[in-house]
Amino acid sequence: MKRYTLLAGFVLAALGAAWAAHAADAKIEALARSCNSCHGLNGVSVGASMPSIGGLSESYLYNVMLQWKHGERYSATMGRHFKGYSDEELAGLAKHFSALPWVPVVQSADARVLAHGKEATERCETCHGATGGQPDDKDTPMLNGQWAKYLELELMKYRTEGVDMPHKKMRKNAQKMGEDADVAAAAKYYAAQPK
Amino acid sequence: MPIDRRDFLTSSAAALTAAVLPRTAAAKPHAAQPHVVVVGAGFGGATCAKYLRLWDPGIQVTLIEPNPHFTSCPMSNWVVGGFLDFDYLVKRYDKLPKYGIRMVRDRVTGVDGEKRLVHTQGGEKIAYDRLVLAPGMEFMTEKVEGYAEGAKAGKVMHAFKAGPETLLLRKQLEAMPDGGVFIIASPPPPGRCVSGPYERASVAAHYFKQHKPKSKIIMLDGHIDVVSKGPMFKAAWKELYPGMIEHRPNNLAVGFDHRTMTVRTEFEDQKGDVVNIIPLQRAPQLCKDAGVRNDALDRWCRVDFTTYESTSVPNIHVVGDPIMSNMPKSAHVSNNQAKIAAAAIIELLHGRQPDPVPVIGSTSYSVTSDHTSGSIAVVMRYDPVKKVYQRQPEGGANKTHSEIEFEYGRSWHENMWADTLG
Repeated sequence: MKRYTLLAGFVLAALGAAWAAHAADAKIEALARSCNSCHGLNGVSVGASMPSIGGLSESYLYNVMLQWKHGERYSATMGRHFKGYSDEELAGLAKHFSALPWVPVVQSADARVLAHGKEATERCETCHGATGGQPDDKDTPMLNGQWAKYLELELMKYRTEGVDMPHKKMRKNAQKMGEDADVAAAAKYYAAQPK
Repeated sequence: MPIDRRDFLTSSAAALTAAVLPRTAAAKPHAAQPHVVVVGAGFGGATCAKYLRLWDPGIQVTLIEPNPHFTSCPMSNWVVGGFLDFDYLVKRYDKLPKYGIRMVRDRVTGVDGEKRLVHTQGGEKIAYDRLVLAPGMEFMTEKVEGYAEGAKAGKVMHAFKAGPETLLLRKQLEAMPDGGVFIIASPPPPGRCVSGPYERASVAAHYFKQHKPKSKIIMLDGHIDVVSKGPMFKAAWKELYPGMIEHRPNNLAVGFDHRTMTVRTEFEDQKGDVVNIIPLQRAPQLCKDAGVRNDALDRWCRVDFTTYESTSVPNIHVVGDPIMSNMPKSAHVSNNQAKIAAAAIIELLHGRQPDPVPVIGSTSYSVTSDHTSGSIAVVMRYDPVKKVYQRQPEGGANKTHSEIEFEYGRSWHENMWADTLG
């Protein structure tokens, strides 16, 4: 009986140590599960205004989350979420989602809208690439196969005075886009790109 | 991409654990493939079944649900407001079997916690290693004298489980003459979707404003105030529907006479043309029969908040509405509790320690018209010392509604249904 207790004690101690060893990763996994509810399994959204986040770059995700946490970026809901997490947890979540594959959700649009969108996105090409799928640095998000409604809402935030969107270059370029119809077409153009 | 949590321990430690840990903590020695039975395929149950299979394909999962389809309560007020077809709320269960879940269309009539058996109306006896109860809630209609007779006569409904009553309420609002009175009587918490009645008042006002502008909405509220999203709702009502919604707090409905269409509260009688009474709620009878409806008032189920295992019957877990906790009884909370329970069940079946400090993130949107919404966003962390989920600072409800949140809210539903069902 004594031996049994000792052995059980040893196993429980080993379990505790094992938990501690993997706890960091497991904890991030556990936190990430909660994100699925709105951003989809593996960060692939099925809702038109909710962005896919799986496969976006670690640095982009982490920066945006910190901006929300510190109230530097316009937020509908995410700021209130991220204030509830430590910076380490946010870094872990950024790493977790960036390690997943980017899965474009290709949304069709008619040829005229796509041609209009292609034209409207000329000034976006330098940083995002011709189809939005070739970002020039680690801080630039993928746009190909992102949800059109989401992209449109984001662009409108960059275009609206008084809405806090910290990226100056994006503000400038979004405001140069002309009509709101150009914004919608640009969003639909990226949403239609598989690569 | 299923996450194989078995990597966390070396195989030798796992083998040792299985051999030594008491049976309650380890998988049954003879169970090569442990069997988890989940009762109820709503936001809690379907999510739990799906994630059990995603994270550990070595577990057999049976999901028992009497209804042929899923009907979403979130968004059902859009139908009441007349800007969504009811059919949109109805979703198929056809994707769940693809995860290897055995779906059984039947009603559970009893649970034998000692023999670990579930009895169904269809006469099946299903054995389980672990059972998850996710049956939602039931109404304490007996607390509103005359409710049963009124409901039978089609003169009152709760419309707080999406279904025929949602359509009945819509029909009655359509038939109501301009200048009529619509009464919404709602209970104090705890209960399902505390902001639901205020959202309902908003969508009804949205409809009246366009078609019956002389009409009035009287809220007989058992709660002390518009507590959930209060400032947001009050601001939206003032802006969009001035003078149309009258909120009377501390005014719990205790009776209804369908012949005179009069609601009796603890303080007054109020006559209405359309009457919607949402009675107090409790964990369903099934939970009582299983021995897990164990709080002092015989209303809710107490659970261990790291595993969602009942505090009174081992191997029975409860998720969603039936739980006694400080968490909202909402779709998002049920969905996330189900994931925590699924992860914990996998750990327990493998004789490992579940996450001791789970975290739940929750967002809830309420529409204020057919194009505006407000929201609550909170993160709740389990505090193992105080044994409660603590709301993290600076979360909560926003004070204003907006068009962009209506857009986000719409997609919240799409993703929530997908995360739960497919």
